Amino acid sequence: MSTENCKDCDTPAESAQRLERIYEYLDGVLSRGDIDDVQAHLNDCPECASDYDLECVIRSAVRRSCTEQAPDTLKITIMEQISQIRTEAGH
Amino acid sequence: MNGVGVVILSMTVAALAPAAPQQRVRVDSWAMSERPTVSDAAPEAVDVASETEAARRFRFEREALQYVDQLYSAAMRMTRNPQDAEDLVQEAYTKAYSAFHQYKPGTNLKAWLYRILTNTYINIYRKKQRQPKQTNTEQVEDWQMAQSAQHTSSGLRSAETEALDHLPDSDVKDALQQIPEEFRLAVYFSDVEGFAYKEIAEILNIPIGTVMSRLHRGRKLLRGLLADYARERGFRRRESTS
Repeated sequence: MSTENCKDCDTPAESAQRLERIYEYLDGVLSRGDIDDVQAHLNDCPECASDYDLECVIRSAVRRSCTEQAPDTLKITIMEQISQIRTEAGH
Repeated sequence: MNGVGVVILSMTVAALAPAAPQQRVRVDSWAMSERPTVSDAAPEAVDVASETEAARRFRFEREALQYVDQLYSAAMRMTRNPQDAEDLVQEAYTKAYSAFHQYKPGTNLKAWLYRILTNTYINIYRKKQRQPKQTNTEQVEDWQMAQSAQHTSSGLRSAETEALDHLPDSDVKDALQQIPEEFRLAVYFSDVEGFAYKEIAEILNIPIGTVMSRLHRGRKLLRGLLADYARERGFRRRESTS
């Protein structure tokens, strides 16, 4: 692995594009060929490899931070409310 | 009301039911009292048009109420405070139940509920708050995007990435809250809820291309903000201290 940036990520625009590729790679929307391409690139480019690591950390931080538990009273209130509704097609 | 196909179809549904033990809804005693027979409640077998009110209510409680915590968490990202989030989720569930006969059994119920939650937020809650119309988010953040790009290209590296991993939840939520709502919801639905682009497009009622551009922009903004929080917490870049 080289310690310098690779030639594919020289300009900010190229770096930005590579980052979007990393997003799509993590989102699981790339084709087999594109996946191979991203993986090969991550092996060769330390800059993108650390962007990839950072993106993984960000996603796990967001997931762990956004897990509020609804108050117990909320479920009870919802059930009480819907028990008073008569739906259109129900009888 | 039940045909011969009931048993077979209900088995299929049981096999497909998502395993989410931590989200399991508590069965309260009053719900037990009007529980219909098991075959009445088999979700896939339901003839929605002829279903009894009691059967529908039981089906709704069993299938939809398991998502209360998740919808509440999403509502917190929208309204920013617990009381409004509670009201919003309550309102969304009331609407969802009223429209439950329109929900097609076997399709993605969680995405259906999220769509109702989002619509309720946009149509009722936000209007009620008389919030001023947001500035055009597609234009506003160009300078922010440029800043974010700077942060990340010369910014956080492995030690700092580790520091970011230890940011308190409150910082992460604050950072999320600071990105424009359209971006925030797309990022939330993707990264927290794991919805596919297509599902997010349906929930937010926007084209898939728009989902992707909101995700990209939202994630870049978030990354810049989180880098700021990490630095504020004392994890400064070594080279910036020279």
